[in-house]
Amino acid sequence: MGRIVEWLDARFPLTAFLKHELSEYPTPRNLSYWWNFGSLAGLVLVIQILSGIFLAMHYKADSTLAFDSIEHIMRDVNYGWLIRYIHSTGASAFFAVIFIHMARTLYYGSYRAPRELMWWTGQVLLLMLMATAFMGYLLPWGQMSYWGAQVITNLFRATPFIGDQVVIWLRGDFAVGDATLTRFFALHYLFPFLITGMVMVHLVALHMVKSSNPSGIDLAAKNNIPFHPYFTVKDLFGVGVFLLIFCAFVFYSPNTFIEAENNLPADPMKTPAHIVPEWYFLPFYAILRAVPDLLGGVVAMAMSVMIFAAMPYLDRSKIPGGARHRPFFRVLFYVFAIDVLVLTYVGMKPPEGVLIPVGQVATFIYFGLFVLLPFISKKEEQWLRARGLPPELQALVASEEAQRALKKKGAL
Amino acid sequence: MTKLRIRWATILLSAMLSGGVYASSEAALPDVKIDTSSAHLKNGAVAILNVCTLCHSVKYVKYRSLLEIGFSTAEVDTLRGEKPLDEPFLAKLQPESARKVFGMVPPDLSDAAKTRKNGAAYVYALLTSYHEDAQEHVDNKLFPGIKMPDPLGLSVELDPARKVKLDQRAKDIAAFLQWSADPRAAERESLGVWVLGYLAVLTFLLWLVKRRVWQRLKAEGVG
Repeated sequence: MGRIVEWLDARFPLTAFLKHELSEYPTPRNLSYWWNFGSLAGLVLVIQILSGIFLAMHYKADSTLAFDSIEHIMRDVNYGWLIRYIHSTGASAFFAVIFIHMARTLYYGSYRAPRELMWWTGQVLLLMLMATAFMGYLLPWGQMSYWGAQVITNLFRATPFIGDQVVIWLRGDFAVGDATLTRFFALHYLFPFLITGMVMVHLVALHMVKSSNPSGIDLAAKNNIPFHPYFTVKDLFGVGVFLLIFCAFVFYSPNTFIEAENNLPADPMKTPAHIVPEWYFLPFYAILRAVPDLLGGVVAMAMSVMIFAAMPYLDRSKIPGGARHRPFFRVLFYVFAIDVLVLTYVGMKPPEGVLIPVGQVATFIYFGLFVLLPFISKKEEQWLRARGLPPELQALVASEEAQRALKKKGAL
Repeated sequence: MTKLRIRWATILLSAMLSGGVYASSEAALPDVKIDTSSAHLKNGAVAILNVCTLCHSVKYVKYRSLLEIGFSTAEVDTLRGEKPLDEPFLAKLQPESARKVFGMVPPDLSDAAKTRKNGAAYVYALLTSYHEDAQEHVDNKLFPGIKMPDPLGLSVELDPARKVKLDQRAKDIAAFLQWSADPRAAERESLGVWVLGYLAVLTFLLWLVKRRVWQRLKAEGVG
């Protein structure tokens, strides 16, 4: 064994790599369980790719066969129901994990320098995940698959001048049809591998800047512990808890995440009474509908996802620890969280009655918070410093400033 | 203000509880217990074959599938007659004739119980909601203007004993459709116990390992 490793190490930096990235990779010892969701996202990606490959062995990407092939998988293929329920539940699990991962980053201000690239590669990953989920949802070729794709591809009509052409180009036909299904299948199979590549970039960036931590400062060496074994075992425990919840859904409530109407085969002649996207798209869908104009709605929806990228610039406070030590920012965070829940509810319901103004107000609040953030964060920092920081925080700020000064000196 | 707050709380709470879409008609569904034990599934299968498949297909269910709900090979042979074991339940009414008579092809029933929430209860309610009005015109309370004529004849049945029997038949049909929409449910639920049990033990052990590994830090007194 030792000789094989020796032989390998002379040709490939195996031991050095493991040492650098695992057994000697410094990780803040004060990470809470909120820091588990990155590794969980990686796990769900693997679950989705594996279950997806096995589904693809039995699935037929043909508008006349797709629905039947899903029924075949669910009824005739050995453990086909299990593979399919793992995949359909996995899609929801993926978004749940990613949303918590993002919420943690926002709460603790982990997007701030020097971790902007982490945040932006994460933003790209979110977009890729959304595209993959959207295309995957067409594949069962049920009523909601079909009409969801019809509605969303139709949004591209808002493209100035060439809107109609863009929609036809996306669908490969005048309406969603066989051509749409086959291209969505091809891309749905491709995207997870692009996502895997992007995850590598995300991880390389992480190992450059290292993990943030609840205190919000770069810790001195004594407070960092090697990733292995401390965080490998902590992440594994997190995996166990996650799998318990995940499997409870897969085995006991797998249809929670499958729209009832999607068990009807797609019928281009029959529009469902109420077209709803999957739960993870609902807030953005509510924002789309809150704007009466098509182009305006599409722009608002795109903005609602992309605006996160501006966070490193919008948040101008240097107080470490994110919302933990920042009372106003903490209020903004919780208002935002509740606002997203309200938008989810509005997106789920038909747009009528009081829900229309509620959706518009919630959309206004959603963007308003981002607009207010630069002023509030600046004022908050001034107020906090003028009032005198609590001793614990004062020590954090001092240590942060000392480190920065040290780095500057080193650079000179 | 307080009132408004309470209303908000109710909206949010109901949003969390409902968790998905619901149709307004579901509130009217009777709270029935549909027994999906083998005897009821078998009765349901016979009723489906004798009544429902006159017009509806149940195309993802094959005669062979009947072996899974407790029929013996001999019983299946009687039910299928000359048809091969792998023949799906097809409608006796041809699609062209159906279009002439009803203006549409009656929907396939394989997934009927999961095309809406609480689908089995809906099937039962639909079958038992036929009634005869003063003009001796039969309609359905749950689905007014439905094109399907009263399949069990409950609306015109006078004999109370027979009525009870027909009501049970509606439940058995609902039970069979519940099974046909999710034929692997029993296997899934029994396998789930082992999977969750295994994971619970594994997670507990991982927690112990985690605790032990992290205790090293305390012992070393780092930080």
